[in-house]
Amino acid sequence: MQRRTFVAAASVAAAGFATRARAADPIKIGAINPYSGGAALYGDETTRGYELAAMQANAKGGLLGRTIIIVRGSATNPQEAMAVVEQLAGRDKVDAFIGTFISAVSNAASEAALNNGKLYWDTQALAAQLTERGLPNFIRSGPNSADFAESSVNAITGLVANGLGKKPKDMSVWIQHEDSIYGTTIAKDQQAGLKAAGVTIVGVNAYSARAIDQTDVILRARNANPDVWLATGYTADNNLMLRTARDQGFKPKAMLLTGSGDTFETLDAMGKEYLEGILVVTYPRSDINPAYGPGAPDFLQAYRKQYNRDPIAPQGFTAFVGAQIMFQAIQAAGSTDYEKVRVAAAAMDLPVGSAPNGFGVKFDAKMQNTRAKPVIVQWQNGTPVTVFPEKAAPIGGKIVDLARK
Amino acid sequence: MGTLLSVLLSGLLLGGLYSLVAIGLNLIFGVIRVVNFAQGEFVMLGMYATFVAYNLLHIDPYLAILLVFPLLFVFGILVQRFILQRLQNEPMMQVFATFGLLMLLQNLVLAVTGGAAYSIRTPLSSMAIAVGPVQVSVPRVIALAAVTAVALILQWGLRNTMTGKAVRAVAQDRRAARLMGIDVERTYMLTFGVGAGLAGMAGALLTPIFTLSPQIGGNFILAAFAVVVLGGLGSVPGAYIGGFLIGMTEALAGYYLDPSLKQAAWFAIFIIMLIVRPTGLFGLAGAEEVGLRVQE
Repeated sequence: MQRRTFVAAASVAAAGFATRARAADPIKIGAINPYSGGAALYGDETTRGYELAAMQANAKGGLLGRTIIIVRGSATNPQEAMAVVEQLAGRDKVDAFIGTFISAVSNAASEAALNNGKLYWDTQALAAQLTERGLPNFIRSGPNSADFAESSVNAITGLVANGLGKKPKDMSVWIQHEDSIYGTTIAKDQQAGLKAAGVTIVGVNAYSARAIDQTDVILRARNANPDVWLATGYTADNNLMLRTARDQGFKPKAMLLTGSGDTFETLDAMGKEYLEGILVVTYPRSDINPAYGPGAPDFLQAYRKQYNRDPIAPQGFTAFVGAQIMFQAIQAAGSTDYEKVRVAAAAMDLPVGSAPNGFGVKFDAKMQNTRAKPVIVQWQNGTPVTVFPEKAAPIGGKIVDLARK
Repeated sequence: MGTLLSVLLSGLLLGGLYSLVAIGLNLIFGVIRVVNFAQGEFVMLGMYATFVAYNLLHIDPYLAILLVFPLLFVFGILVQRFILQRLQNEPMMQVFATFGLLMLLQNLVLAVTGGAAYSIRTPLSSMAIAVGPVQVSVPRVIALAAVTAVALILQWGLRNTMTGKAVRAVAQDRRAARLMGIDVERTYMLTFGVGAGLAGMAGALLTPIFTLSPQIGGNFILAAFAVVVLGGLGSVPGAYIGGFLIGMTEALAGYYLDPSLKQAAWFAIFIIMLIVRPTGLFGLAGAEEVGLRVQE
């Protein structure tokens, strides 16, 4: 009997010790992003957002009483994504994954995470198809391509129409996009949205982002004489497109870029005089009105303190908020188990304006956050200023003349 | 009419850019017979060197050619001497070595720049002039003028100087050239150096036009290889005219067919040319050594 009691006591003690040890173990989150290759700058910026969110959570006692550790895993393509997920799951024993703006990487990494029984929390890949797969471990807290398309359509039919003094049905738009799934998907949704609003689409052109000459696209656009030039691309091809438009004397009444064009990389290439008035659909920036995004000033301050400079792109802010929503869901689930986190996330219901960048939280059945929307910024005197939605505009911020001089 | 003129002129100027990148590649390809996969990265290095010269030393991109050409020239000589020459009897290994160099250079620049896309803006870089109803970008006109001058100088040098004759002799028959007392290794180093220097010069001329990225060399190199094969291996006029052929095809197909199909259009011409005239426009049919021989 005594022996049995001893064994039982030992077992209880061992179990208690194991529990304490587990509680003391950090929660490791694998951050999948490109840290090499052409997109490394944004990969690093995105993961800085995760790291800042983890630091702030750790300062408040961590997650489930455990310290959060962000473990970086670099992936620039699907093959690397699968390999790095296996590595982080096997070698580093991460508890969950978070990542990235490259949709193809997100696609492969989330499947590999599922094979390892891990949660994959997506903060900013845009391809709408990612949530359509119905992967049980996949949750997206950021906006998708349809949201970007919707925002650009809303900007044209509202902001731009008002600025030009026209009704949407009297307006004409030229759509162009780089020809990968990113640009193609957004352009397709833009077409549908603009048609539904009665806007005339005078042309749609796909182009390769690697082409070294875009004169053909610009000449086509110029000959179509649209009110609005709507372009979706990456930074370098957008810059070349803008340079070609300038050289060819193409001056539509309004120019709207989607997805890129609001960083120093475009300012350096084009200069503030040329960019003045150009609109960009982008992630909420840290200049947004605190009444819309209550944590914008705090994020900016924390970022500056940690990295000794301003954010170079808005991706980090969205990543920061995405990681915070993930932590809330894990906390509510009491576990990193993806099934429990999915249930907890599905139960979240936070109105727009709750998150530091103005996002709300309400996931649909496919675990796409329906309350995460991009904003519209306008280049004003060399700075991208948030102008839409109006509530997001910084104090004193307003749209300036749209028309191209 | 104005549109057609715009398209033709844009094709001409684009052709100038392709010729610019292809002319150094063709020299290396035609004389040393090395498929230099890293040629695009030499162009990229030239662009970053120009960027650094502009930002740190405040040297105009066009003046930076005087700095960038010698830099890349020396770099090319070192690559030839310490990498390719050691693999002289293993052509496949030379190709792998240039591919390794491509990866090394791309990742080195990436590590230094962090992947940020940099640009240069000068009064000239944002200038366009009106030629009748057509708008023309000044940096592209300068690139066209530069490649024309380079082609003429190179062609003259190859025909009229002893060094040029040595290069042609080596290109035609390495063994015979050695028997005639030509220092083949030295000629190879010189040729590779000039080829790399020309890539650097191309980089300087392209910097006012494009946004820099570590991968930008890849955007030029596929077309440059097509230009080289189309024009004829080792032929300076071939690289020059081949560039315009590709540029004009791309501009016409991009505007009148579809911008996303323009590369397919010049690839189709490239394949037809390979079938009809495998040695290229200025190559010599049936000869092992094509290109420079045709200048005899």
